Amino acid sequence: MNGYAGKLLRVNLSNGKVSKEEISDSTKRDFLGGRGFAAKLLWDEVRNVDPLSEKNKIIFATGPLTGQSIPSSGKMVIASKSPLTGGYGDGNIGTMASVHLKKAGYDVVVVEGKSEKPCYLLIEDEKVKIVGASNLWGKNTFQAQDLLEKKHGKNSGILLTGPAGENLVGFSTVMSQKGRAGGRPGMGAVMGSKKLKAVVIKGTGRVENFDDNKLQEMGKKGYAEIKSKESYDFWMRQGTMQAFDWANENACLPTRNYREGVFEFSKEMDGYVVEKLHAGRKGCPLCNMQCGHIIKDSSNQDAELDYENVAMLGPNIGLGSLPKVATLNRMADEWGLDTISLGSCIGFLMEASERGFITEKIKWGDFEAAQKLTVEIAKGEGLGKLFSHGVKAASETIGKGSQKWAMQVKGLEISAYNCQACPGMALAFGTSPIGAHHKDAWIISWEIANDRFSYNKPKVEKLIEFQRIRGGFFESATVCRLPWVEVSFGLDRYPEYLEAITGEKKSWEDIYRLGDRIYNLIRAFWIREVPSFGRKWDYPPERWFEEPQSAGKMKGIKVDREKYEQMLSWYYELRGWDQNGIPSEKTLENSGLKGVSKEILGQVG
Amino acid sequence: MAELKFFGYLADIVGARAKEMSLEKPVALREILPASFPETNITVLINQKPGHLDSLIRNEDRVVIMPILSGG
Repeated sequence: MNGYAGKLLRVNLSNGKVSKEEISDSTKRDFLGGRGFAAKLLWDEVRNVDPLSEKNKIIFATGPLTGQSIPSSGKMVIASKSPLTGGYGDGNIGTMASVHLKKAGYDVVVVEGKSEKPCYLLIEDEKVKIVGASNLWGKNTFQAQDLLEKKHGKNSGILLTGPAGENLVGFSTVMSQKGRAGGRPGMGAVMGSKKLKAVVIKGTGRVENFDDNKLQEMGKKGYAEIKSKESYDFWMRQGTMQAFDWANENACLPTRNYREGVFEFSKEMDGYVVEKLHAGRKGCPLCNMQCGHIIKDSSNQDAELDYENVAMLGPNIGLGSLPKVATLNRMADEWGLDTISLGSCIGFLMEASERGFITEKIKWGDFEAAQKLTVEIAKGEGLGKLFSHGVKAASETIGKGSQKWAMQVKGLEISAYNCQACPGMALAFGTSPIGAHHKDAWIISWEIANDRFSYNKPKVEKLIEFQRIRGGFFESATVCRLPWVEVSFGLDRYPEYLEAITGEKKSWEDIYRLGDRIYNLIRAFWIREVPSFGRKWDYPPERWFEEPQSAGKMKGIKVDREKYEQMLSWYYELRGWDQNGIPSEKTLENSGLKGVSKEILGQVG
Repeated sequence: MAELKFFGYLADIVGARAKEMSLEKPVALREILPASFPETNITVLINQKPGHLDSLIRNEDRVVIMPILSGG
């Protein structure tokens, strides 16, 4: 089929074997690419294994839209069985590596086994080599990026794990280009467990498209359409940081470990402050609305900010200085830690200290302590060791009821939206297929616009629609969703691109069916891999049910437990899952997943 | 006084992040906004409740107008 490089590259680090496999047209049609390919591969090949053992596999996957001359297409998905959650884990990352991978002739790389010594994978078109990396091991992701660029050229596509990944920290990510990150649920640790420091890709070929002239024309128009949008100029000035002010106004800015939704220092660190401190911009390849805003941090180094990391390392830990937040963010990027999870862990620890659950005294907003903790978490030393497996495991170690304010779902820390007064978004976090993350169904803006306090079936239907488009299509196509969601770029452009690339026409109904297939398969993976999996894994933390916000305009509001249960039941019903969240045999067969039910029958109940 | 707050690029269109207006009688929101104000992809909240550009604004109302956005 056109639009794909057509090959899967498989590298076994235990025995050094490298093989190349054809990807069948039926796999392309049924799973599209990116997340779809990853879910299929993990389902077929990773069964009941320890995520940090050599039997786990890490997948780097592109889709038909990746690397094409269309807006914001420089993306890839990195997936594995997650060492943080024990279930399906993935993340998307904007990187030159995605563009180079397809040019080198591969849609997917599967890395399996474990190297005895530190190594990196070098892919130069047909030539694939496992190279010793003892000189890189222990280096932070910025240093290692520099060394690899020096050796292989500045234009190489480079994916890295940092010291946090080497030390197997559960929320270590994969980094690229000193600031691009992906794979929150411990993809960096999976690389670390395999002694795989980096993947370096240089491709010189090109992918054949069905109608390349038409695609080039459409791509050109697409870039121009984005630039012509009324919101474009503001987006270029503030990027995702425009959401900071918005979140504070709507009382959903995570503040002091999600106790509150408003922060008293919000005016000192919102998007307008970013504009004033602006020192540059960074972003992904093939994008004309780059979202990384650089400011000088408190130690006068460049740091790239976005809403999620500022909210989690700022208000969520009680820190009201943007340059100081930028320092923590840069440190997390260097060490290879996920900034959302890091902010959640630090916020949790500060609350534990305040309540006297730990002996150490760490006050809200303590910048020195936060820096020390960041390093200790990455090294797995001192107090940081408590968080090697994330906030859920830390709360279980501390006990004393602290689990109810460990802000996570399925073991993944919640991203930066406080939901006591947004039950639809709480359900989106509850049912996200990697654990609590916003990329699959960011329903909160729709919910606030329509009726934030209601618990009704149309809200659940809307949530599933978002999951199909964002979690199903964008993650598998694989292309950035931000042009659509941030500047209202036409959603209908994407099936048109897909048709010009592959030659196959897909209706939105086809795309929804594809999204459902991928969701059902990921759900089956969780059921097979996590013995106690079931309905309770789709609950948000107890804090949102039990503790209303105590300040701001949503004071006194919390999530109604019974009504949440009703929405979750509707969600299962609409998805064709039973009341324990298990897809029925009929649902799986209708999704074209015959045989999957046999492996999950009797696992839960 | 009616209080109006504008978020994101909508503040650029209006030329202010916040405005206070004295209204002698209820008036449709669109009548007190610039003609170029967008009709779609916006959220209007009037006293915390969803509204629209044809909603009537009274003197004591608190109006918040935001773009639909994503946040990452």
